[in-house]
Amino acid sequence: MYSYIARRLAFGALTVIGVSIMVFAVMRILPGDPLVAIFGPEGFTKLSEQERAGYMAALGLSDPLWVQYLAWVKDIVRGDFGHSFFRSESVADMILRRGPLTAEIALISVVLSWLVGIPVAIVSALRPNTISDSLVRFISILFIAVPGFWVGMLIVLALLFWFGYRAPMAGASLLADPVANLQLVVGPAIVLGLGQAAYIARMGRSSLLEVIREDYVRTARAKGLNNRLVIALHALPNALLPVITLSGVLLGLVLAGSIPVERAFGTPGLGYAMFTAVSERDVFVMQNLVFVYAVVFVLLNIVVDVTIALLDPRIRYR
Amino acid sequence: MTAIFPAQPALPTTASRARSALRGIGMFFRRAPFSAFWGCIAAAIVAMAVAAPVIVPYEPLKSDFRSMQKPPSEQHWFGTDQIGRDTLSRVIYGSRASLTVAFGAVLFGTTVGALWGLACGYFGGRFDMASQRLIEFLQSFPDLILAMAIAMALGGGLGTVIVAIAITRIPFGGRVIRSVVLSLKEIQYVEAARGLGASHKRLMFRHILPQCVAPYMILATTHLGVAIVIEASLGFLGVGIPPPSPTWGNMLSDALNAGLVPPWWLVLFPGVAITITVLAFNLLGDGIRDLLDPRLRGSV
Repeated sequence: MYSYIARRLAFGALTVIGVSIMVFAVMRILPGDPLVAIFGPEGFTKLSEQERAGYMAALGLSDPLWVQYLAWVKDIVRGDFGHSFFRSESVADMILRRGPLTAEIALISVVLSWLVGIPVAIVSALRPNTISDSLVRFISILFIAVPGFWVGMLIVLALLFWFGYRAPMAGASLLADPVANLQLVVGPAIVLGLGQAAYIARMGRSSLLEVIREDYVRTARAKGLNNRLVIALHALPNALLPVITLSGVLLGLVLAGSIPVERAFGTPGLGYAMFTAVSERDVFVMQNLVFVYAVVFVLLNIVVDVTIALLDPRIRYR
Repeated sequence: MTAIFPAQPALPTTASRARSALRGIGMFFRRAPFSAFWGCIAAAIVAMAVAAPVIVPYEPLKSDFRSMQKPPSEQHWFGTDQIGRDTLSRVIYGSRASLTVAFGAVLFGTTVGALWGLACGYFGGRFDMASQRLIEFLQSFPDLILAMAIAMALGGGLGTVIVAIAITRIPFGGRVIRSVVLSLKEIQYVEAARGLGASHKRLMFRHILPQCVAPYMILATTHLGVAIVIEASLGFLGVGIPPPSPTWGNMLSDALNAGLVPPWWLVLFPGVAITITVLAFNLLGDGIRDLLDPRLRGSV
């Protein structure tokens, strides 16, 4: 088991290095000129040749690329994520301040997706091809198709329209002001949670249908165990393994999906910071945020893999 | 494998091809009426996008200062936005941007991925190892975040949005086609062709590639919906096709920028358009997958 974890971590480290090179390549080497990104195409043409050179030197952009890359990696290792062009707060502080809110949203949404998705999957799989099953399947297909940020906008609009209610704008931490914090988090978490629940219900259903046909389930039934216990003790635990893997994949959906969803709700989380960085063409903040998101995603995938290995010895010994 | 991807008939003529295509569509309607129905809706949306200039009641970019931010009425079925542009016309034109990006990105991304996967699966060895690592790196980014970063670095525009979304599709094509090729490589008729001294090029493109068509089609159709959602999200976040162009994502973003209380018709209609389009393409994709690969029926 430990060797599996060690191997997985080593691969994770390699992936993080690869990811850092890729982020750097995308943000710095791609044909787009960073000054164009910062000043906009019009602003860029107004700069004189000298000004351009001055900005490039000040930002360290005239060094050879590998020097720039190493400087960036060194900064990150020291925990220095740089500053925004437009704000005084450092990116590291911003991540620490806004990150918890997005983490909370992600966590609640995952819990919610299981609470909704699994019961639906069970009901659907126990009575396959009935009206309720078809209905559930269509609803889950619908939920996969609906863009979460649009649902978010509709919710905000409906609350405003009928109740004149709007979630507080300012960030509030869970410990200092739990009520305000909850109002901020609930909306995005529900939207993202239901989006994942649709996938989980779909996967859970097909996985359960497969497992129910297995010999050990028939044996459990044959020895006279009642149906509920057969499902709860024999079928479900085995059917959940692919669902856990899927849940890990869906975390990517949550991390990315929270960006437009937070914009729709106006939630002051990390996703909103990402939106701000993109709309202000703040290349360096964007570079660091993309890197942070990718590293979080890699780590979460390792956690999921290790969890699966703990639950399923077949994977551990492979 | 041969049973799952039936071999092409020898030397098909144009007439026999057309007939078998028609038969295929007929079978689709009989075996999956639900998907076929949504397929018709998808076709209708494509037709709407193509015919947009003819069917729109107003110019999508022309503002009418006498009717600004008006709710739906007989003149403007879907209302007008803050500067008096007709929402219905803009929603219809939005389908153009959405479908151009979706088809362009999926074709480009899946094709590049598929060819890469073909090379990986066929040659194996170090090239394959290195490619798999690279694909893993690409998959370490959530799709939307990678697309955002690329679209932002390249600057906005139709072409860059297509490239940005296409790059996020490459790993899927690469992985799936590689695994198909790995199993095909050992099949007897390929071995026979190799024994007869066929070149790598001939083996890859003449003997292996045709068997990849079914999985390629499945991949491409199932990813259209995702591509549409990513395009809309990019527009909503302001890194899509730049503003005056009517895209569904831009319209939702504009609605949010309109003020503290966005008018409901500006929020409702573009979102409904996205949902119906994605739904139609997803269900069409499901139907095609069930038809071409019965093994996967009912799974995700």
